[in-house]
Formats: sequence, C-alpha cells, structure tokens
Amino acid sequence: MQRSKWVWLVWAVVLLCYLVPYTLLTDVQAWYGSFLFWTVAGLAVIALNVFITKDFEGK
Amino acid sequence: MTESLIWWSVAIYLLVAIAIAILSRQGKSQDMSGYFLGNRQMNGFVSALSYSATTYSAFMMVGLAGLTYAGGVGALGFEIIYFAGVSLVAIFGPKFWAVGKKFGFVTPSEMLGHRYKSKHVAMAVSIASCLFLIPYAAVQLAGVGYLLQGTTGGAIPFTTGVILATAIAIFFSYVAGIRSVMWTDSLQAIMMVVASTLVALLVIQGLGGFGALFDTLATEHPQSLTVPGSGLFSFVTFLGLTIPWFFFSLSNPQVSQRLFMPASLRSMRQMLLGFLVFGFVYTLVSVLWGFSALAAFPGLASADLATPTLLGSVHVPPVLGVIVMIGIMAAAVSTIDSIMLTLSSMLARDVYANVKPGTSEKRQLIVGKVVIPVIALMALGFAELQLDLIAVLSVAASSGLVAVVPAIIGAFYWKRGTAAGALVSVIGTGAFVLFVYAIGNSFLGLPAGIWGIIVSSVLFVGVSLLSRAPEDRADEFLDAIASQLRIRKTAGVVSEPPLQQAKAGH
Repeated sequence: MQRSKWVWLVWAVVLLCYLVPYTLLTDVQAWYGSFLFWTVAGLAVIALNVFITKDFEGK
Repeated sequence: MTESLIWWSVAIYLLVAIAIAILSRQGKSQDMSGYFLGNRQMNGFVSALSYSATTYSAFMMVGLAGLTYAGGVGALGFEIIYFAGVSLVAIFGPKFWAVGKKFGFVTPSEMLGHRYKSKHVAMAVSIASCLFLIPYAAVQLAGVGYLLQGTTGGAIPFTTGVILATAIAIFFSYVAGIRSVMWTDSLQAIMMVVASTLVALLVIQGLGGFGALFDTLATEHPQSLTVPGSGLFSFVTFLGLTIPWFFFSLSNPQVSQRLFMPASLRSMRQMLLGFLVFGFVYTLVSVLWGFSALAAFPGLASADLATPTLLGSVHVPPVLGVIVMIGIMAAAVSTIDSIMLTLSSMLARDVYANVKPGTSEKRQLIVGKVVIPVIALMALGFAELQLDLIAVLSVAASSGLVAVVPAIIGAFYWKRGTAAGALVSVIGTGAFVLFVYAIGNSFLGLPAGIWGIIVSSVLFVGVSLLSRAPEDRADEFLDAIASQLRIRKTAGVVSEPPLQQAKAGH
C-alpha cells in the first residue's frame, strides 16, 4: 500500500478518537469502553507509523 | 522517606548523570550545528529516548495522573490524540531533515525565514517561542520545587529544589551542548519508564489487580470511565485541549529542531518508533496512576495531590518512591535544558545574527552560550516570583505556539505562502490567544486552543493571497527536498554515515 494511504488511515483513527467515545461509548462504564478504545487506537497509531516510515530504511 | 535517603539518592543520580554528560563529549564543537545539533549525527536510539524525555515533562507523572483523577478516562483520550499527532514527524520529518542538510539550517525558525525570504519571519518566530516557552520552563521549575518540598515534608525546601534543577539544567547544556543533553535525557527516560511502570504494577497489585481496580471504578466512580463523564471533558474542552497538542511535534521548536539531527532517515525512523513505544507505555502508566489514586484515595483536596499521595502510600516501597521523585525532577530538567538550548540557538542564529549581519558561526556560538544561563535565570526568577501572568503564558504556550503551524505546513505544501502571511499569522495569533486567555479562555463559547489554529490558518492564507509570494525561493526549497531525498534513495545504505562513527564518543 502507498505511504499516503497509511497517513490517511492515521487521520481516520484520530477522527474516530473524537467520535466513538463521545457517541457509542459514552454510556459504557467499564474498562472495555473508552479506555480500551483509546488504548487500541494508540497501538494502531504505532503500527501505522511502522508502515508509513517503511521506506526510511536504507536512506 | 528519610531526609538522608533523599539526599543520597539525589547525589547518586547527579554522579551518574554527570559521568554520562562528560562521556558524551566528542571533541570541541566549534560551530552551531556541532553544538546545537550534534553535527547532525545523532543515532536513533538516543534520539528516541531524548525525544521522549524532552516531550514528557514533569507534567505527565503529576499532571496527567491528576487530570485522570479529576476527569477520568478523557485524559487518556487527550494523550492518545497528541500521540497520533506525532505521526506528523513521519510526514514532515524527512522534509525538515532534507532541507536542514542542504541549506545548513540550525533552527526551525531559520528554515522559515529562508523559505519565506524574510529575516523578520525568523525573528518573529524566535521571539514568540521565547515568550511562551520561558514561562513554560518556569512553571516546570516551580513544579519541581513544590513536588520536592511536598514529598519530602519540607526537607528539600521550594527554593532549594528550584535552584538545584536550574543548576543541573545549565550544567547538562554546557558540558557538550545537545550531545550531553540527549545522553542525560536517555538516562532519565529509561529510569523513569522502568520506575513508573513498577509503581503502577505494585499499586494495582496492592489494590487487588487490574480487574478489581476497574470494578471499583465502575461501581464507585462510573463516570470516570466515560466521556464527558463528570463533565470536565466536555466535547468543546476536549477539542480545545487536544487540537494544540496534536500539532505539538511541529509547533514546539525544542522537538521540531530534533528533525534536523538524525544521522540518517533510518535513525529518524528509529527515533519516531522508539518514541511511540515509550510514549504509549508512559501514557498508560500515568493514566493508571490517576485511576489507582481515584480508587484508593477518592477524597483528595486537589487532583495535583494524586501522584504525591500515591508515592507516599503503603503500596510503594520508600526506595522506589524516592527513585520516582528524582525521576520527576529529572523529567523537568530534561525538558528545560532542551528548551534552553533551542531558544538560545534561535536567539543567536535568528535574532542576533540577523540584527548584526555577517556574524561568524563562532561568534553566534559564543552568543548562544551566553544566552543559555540568561534564559535559565529568567525561568528561575519567574518560578520564584509565581506571577499570575507567567502562569497564563505557560498555559497559553501550546495554543500560542500553534501560530506557527500553518506557516510550516505552507512552507512545504503551498507555494503561494508569503512572508507577510507568516508574520501576521504568528504575531496576530499569539496576541489573539493571549487575549482569549485574558478574558477567561472563552471567546464566542470556544477556548483559545480551538481559536489558535483557526485564526492562524485564516491569517496565513488570507494575507498570503494579498501579498507577493517568493516563488523562486519556494521552487528552490521544494527542489532541494526532492533531490536530497532522491539522492539518499539511489545511494542507498552507502550514503549513511557508519553507526560506529556516531557512537565513537561513548
């Protein structure tokens, strides 16, 4: 996949970080609510950055 | 915590840190890029740890835990959005790095001045950075003073703590410039992440495990697990907090200057990914501290007491408590020394050398070195005075520094951007943000954090369209990026300076 597509996915994660906890998860009072969502979002950001910077190797 | 345990621990920390600072020296730096950029030869591992230590000030362990204590899980969301914003390094990092190598930029403001063909842009960005970051450093120092005084029951008085932290910051900057700062940062980052994770694990275990902690929260403080929850994190407040921090990696010169330093793009990648892993652990740990304090000590008078209370509790062995306390002091020092170095490089390069054209590199370096303690003493003075204005400037720092973001993005992506646009946007937004803070951080119902990016974008685009763009300069700038990154690609591994060379000094 192209570098720019991974970048767009990061922006999509950011958007979801605003939307989901304030709508779908706003009544889920447990660890598997917003806590888990933002934690997974953090992991997704790390993974996406691995892909975005893949072609930095060898430069 | 006995007084002797505290002082012995401070002494051991200082001994190790001073040894590392001295070992990090690599010949005498004669020029600006040697002293302030480590000759653009920094390796990825040290860069990652230092980037983390510089970004995560004492705010994390005290402030973020306190924010979680007061407002619940929204504090995690706030940090994760900042965290996602660091992806901007993956996008802008190679571009900064390429033009830095090609044109020899030492500071981000110098880069903007060149791109927009205007000394005034470089000067305005430098001065605006000082205006917001010196108070920010001062508040960090004051935080150290209070923390040491509070956790040691007055054994280390406020003034002693503040002076100690300032002296250490000056020393770390002076030994070998950015090299000693980055190596001592690395020590601090490793110590901190290990110690704070241990504390989190011990405390959670003491509270009956992860499941029991969240069960307690769900039954006794159910709102802490949702947003807006108790109301602290209303959506507008959340936006106001997160938007400026999302752009932190571009707007704050003490971290954007780091993009000039890696020895290669591979090192830059290591810096970014290393930081992300570190930051993720650190964020979760800080939030769990806040949650643990909420479950165990729900009735604290102030959320800022969450961390000191936790460290003083029966769940944390005194030695570990002292290590974390010193770690928090070191965290403040590692943020302050980087800010001091960056600001002094900007004042020497972008203000002094522009006011006095023809200033040699050697002369600029001397000016920079003279400015370092001046900035430190200003921060120290502000910390001691505890002025309201300083507190406002510090809180306004993240919103105020966003002023420079449209000009940075425009430098790389919009040829129509002009010096007038950059100047008006930096000065106008800085003034507007301060105005919004002065009237209680709400203008037409929105906080300064949201206004900052809107006002700066409108001013930058609007004024640019009304003025003449330096098209030749824009072409030269963008061509340089293209050719620099292409050369690297075709030359492959051969073009990379040997890692051994970068490590030779250690």
